[in-house]
Amino acid sequence: MAYKAEISRENPTCILFVIDQSGSMDEITEAGRSKAAFVADVLNKTLYTLVTSCSKSDGVRNYFDVGVIAYAGSQVTSGFGGALSGDIVHPIHAISENTLRVEERKKKVDDGAGGIVELKTKFPVWFDPKSEGGTPMRAALGKTIETVGGWCEQHPGSYPPTILHVTDGQSTDGAPEEMANGLRQISTKDGQALLFNLHVNTGAGLEIVFPTAETDLNDDYSRMLFRMSSPLPAHLAKFAGDKGYTIADGSRGFIFNGDPQCVVDFFEIGTRPRLVADR
Amino acid sequence: MRPTDLRSKSRLPLAFSVPKREDQDNEDSFQRSAKGVYALSDGASVSFDSASWARILVRRYTRNPEFTREWLSAAIAEFRKLYDRDSLPWMQQASFDKGSFASLLGIRIADGGRAIQVLSVGDSLAVLCDGDRITATFPLSSAAEFTGSPQLICTNPMQNAFLDKMDFSYDLVADWTFRGLEQPALLCMTDALGHWLLSQRDRNSSPISVLRRLRTPGAFARFVQEERAAGRMKRDDTTLIALW
Repeated sequence: MAYKAEISRENPTCILFVIDQSGSMDEITEAGRSKAAFVADVLNKTLYTLVTSCSKSDGVRNYFDVGVIAYAGSQVTSGFGGALSGDIVHPIHAISENTLRVEERKKKVDDGAGGIVELKTKFPVWFDPKSEGGTPMRAALGKTIETVGGWCEQHPGSYPPTILHVTDGQSTDGAPEEMANGLRQISTKDGQALLFNLHVNTGAGLEIVFPTAETDLNDDYSRMLFRMSSPLPAHLAKFAGDKGYTIADGSRGFIFNGDPQCVVDFFEIGTRPRLVADR
Repeated sequence: MRPTDLRSKSRLPLAFSVPKREDQDNEDSFQRSAKGVYALSDGASVSFDSASWARILVRRYTRNPEFTREWLSAAIAEFRKLYDRDSLPWMQQASFDKGSFASLLGIRIADGGRAIQVLSVGDSLAVLCDGDRITATFPLSSAAEFTGSPQLICTNPMQNAFLDKMDFSYDLVADWTFRGLEQPALLCMTDALGHWLLSQRDRNSSPISVLRRLRTPGAFARFVQEERAAGRMKRDDTTLIALW
């Protein structure tokens, strides 16, 4: 049965973010910030959460290899800067050690005695928002195939890679569907790579979340993104259901016209492979 | 039926534990007091320092088995003194804030076994037996109830919100007795072994008879390795406390 492999230091899994940084990502959402700023914030928070889930008092355990592919204009590059910019995928301990900066933020927490206290908290930043040029989605997915294929060859027994693709518009370098189909064919012994697609919007328009059929969608573009997306494995479907989404057999890892809360949930659900042996 | 002379029985426990891997720390903890109090805790590996948290829980329980909200607050305060939060690197500070998680299974045996109180938070399992027959289990009763994401006690008070809805002296406790049992025995185990036991209980060979034969650490380790290899037991820290 697929998607059952134990995720451990010996058998890490791979999480790859593919991020559209084209010019239209500078549109302002109903929350008053650009789509690019919002996505960068959620991505930073997601990496923070992933690192935290691997951090023990004696260091960061490498349960995940993580990469970011950014695409804009005619460029497809690593989304990381500095020491991480040379490769796409890095063990999570390397990511924890190579931030752009660490900011100090304040958060309110339960003091354990019925009160609330304000805590100063260190918050790492890997990404700043970018938005310029066209949308070379086909080239980005080609780079993703190359990256995921190489990773699976090196990790044949691992839980397969999860790819979270975030975009707000149509490809400007050709049809991406066949690349997505090729990507989903790549597999480990534990199953095929999972490609989840998130179409972000400014908050206007009706969002369609984890649909089960093309007929749930209104236009050719959204139907294509649906076909490009993997069905949610059972444990992710359950997690999405627990978060209040309507899930049925065949629900795809796809959100169309996602509002800011959908973006947050999409990242949280998509980066939730089970740490089976390491509860 | 001839009543069992409970008080004449010597009930020094057999205690065995095997880590999930030989080169990794074992985050299960066990302690007992001279007053018939036993405590077992299973620290969750995916958390900051669950081994220390599990040790604090079992030590405090065997000293004071009155588990209350104040008891829990004092245990959390002791844990938080182990680290200087503000000086931790961001990734450890984040993990420290998220919390360390562990189960707690506490046993109080009074009057030679006439009164046994079991307290459990999480998925460590207590089992009452009569010979090879299982007469009661707590807090879970079937293998399907082991979900992989149990509610555990955490050093972050917000993660203990599930306890707010509970009556500690009712929802977390089972009252058992050895009275009326011909061959009473009490077992405590962490979840990998608990899941194994409940999934094997309807087989021809009683899982209790299998465990009863394990009298040395080496025999227990071989048993765990064989069951893991056969795919019948999850790879996790595995601990058995047995009062035969």
